[in-house]
Amino acid sequence: MDKETLLKQYIQKELIKSRQAKLSPDDDLLGSGVLDSLGILQLVAFIDEKLGVQVADEDVVLENFQSVNAIMNYLTSKETKQL
Amino acid sequence: MSDVIIIGGGPAGSALGSYLSKAGISNTIIEKSNHPRDHVGESLVTNTTRIFQDIGFLETMEREGFVHKYGATWHAPSSQGKLSIIFAEFPVEDVNQPYSYHIDRSKFDLLLLKHAESLGSKVYQGVSATRVLFDAGGQANGVRVRIGDQEVELSCKIVVDASGRDTFLGRHLRIKEKDPLFNQYAIHAWFENVDRSDKETGDHIHIYFLPIEKGWVWQIPITEEVTSMGVVTEKNDFLISKMDLEDFFHHHMQSNPNLTHAMRNARRVKDFKTEGDYSYTMTKFVGDGYVLIGDAARFVDPIFSSGISVALHSAKFASEQIIHALEINDFREEVLKPYETKLRTGVEIWYEFIRLYYKLLPLFTHFIQIPEYRLQLFRLLQGEVFDRKEAPVLQAMRDYIEKVESTEGHLLRKQLIEIPIE
Repeated sequence: MDKETLLKQYIQKELIKSRQAKLSPDDDLLGSGVLDSLGILQLVAFIDEKLGVQVADEDVVLENFQSVNAIMNYLTSKETKQL
Repeated sequence: MSDVIIIGGGPAGSALGSYLSKAGISNTIIEKSNHPRDHVGESLVTNTTRIFQDIGFLETMEREGFVHKYGATWHAPSSQGKLSIIFAEFPVEDVNQPYSYHIDRSKFDLLLLKHAESLGSKVYQGVSATRVLFDAGGQANGVRVRIGDQEVELSCKIVVDASGRDTFLGRHLRIKEKDPLFNQYAIHAWFENVDRSDKETGDHIHIYFLPIEKGWVWQIPITEEVTSMGVVTEKNDFLISKMDLEDFFHHHMQSNPNLTHAMRNARRVKDFKTEGDYSYTMTKFVGDGYVLIGDAARFVDPIFSSGISVALHSAKFASEQIIHALEINDFREEVLKPYETKLRTGVEIWYEFIRLYYKLLPLFTHFIQIPEYRLQLFRLLQGEVFDRKEAPVLQAMRDYIEKVESTEGHLLRKQLIEIPIE
């Protein structure tokens, strides 16, 4: 499974916990209250452990976590930096 | 004449009486109430069991059927999210029980006082201390007490203040300092029919966060049927609400979804009580001829049920120092000081943990899920704060908070509350 699918699955299953309609890559995760502060930290831990990308404490900002797309962009930029 | 007079027959005083009696030291406990009497502080962290073992009180705890406490559960303020820990995951050193206790204090305090008496402490109930007596050199050497309408002077070598939140000696000596950061207020009562049906967490202590700063609710099982419920908020939140106690209490029962659910059929069976004076310290815990233990020395915010553990451990450490002082027949402050240092260092770790915890609530839940820090947090939650200088997890939490404070637009920034961390 690719990272985006894993990510979406985790958010949908573990963090939303409701039978809300399918999560779109552009859905606002923060403003809409999908992710509360605890959810954000759980998501960071998930990315560290399961996707193998270390999220620096100072990277936990709006532009990197607003949507699934934003997170994917952030992850890609981290990986590009590592290359 | 007793070598030691202990003012107060609560858990600290009775534990100290027990330790001293076991060591063959004559001691007298003066208790102003007649037990049983009600008291707040009904949940124990696991390392209290070690003290019960020390003084031979564990059998009584088991025989009397106090509710076993297997863990703790925290509930998020506005979602249905919750987090539980089970004590069995990391047992406390030297303790073979995967649980601690919830206690009806009127019963527990009476039993512990009787226990001290059975070991040899002289116990007087319904007798109040009116003042501590000092010799010409300023060394405490007795206590004046009121018995009925008479005042009597009792002499001794060491006076111990175990008067609890009365802080008898601290007030008289004007050495009490209020904590500038925590000024909370608790409203609590006993209820029946609180929903504790969840098999895994029914016997836990439950902490429900409220959607206000430093606001939370405790749920503590007292018996099969009875549950203690308490609302803790900043004193100012109560004052500006202009509500009476009962309305304020019920208002907050409605402000956390899991709490509202647990309370939906609850019926109150005792009067509401209130507690103020949430955090304080005496500037010193020992002086020439006297020692302060338990809440009479220091009290920190009770969110982690630390109070009785601190009280019982302070009794243990004080007894060691008192035994030594009696051996060398020297009761000056400097001889008693190592006790203060030990207790203060331990309680400071509690305090630091509590401060960081309130500062950024989600951090605790985050750190406890990181394997590297989990064991350390468990040890703190069990009350294991003595015999150590610093817990590295606290430094890690401090570092994280600093990062959040210094990063423009950090997503947790709005969760930070105004507590200085340095």
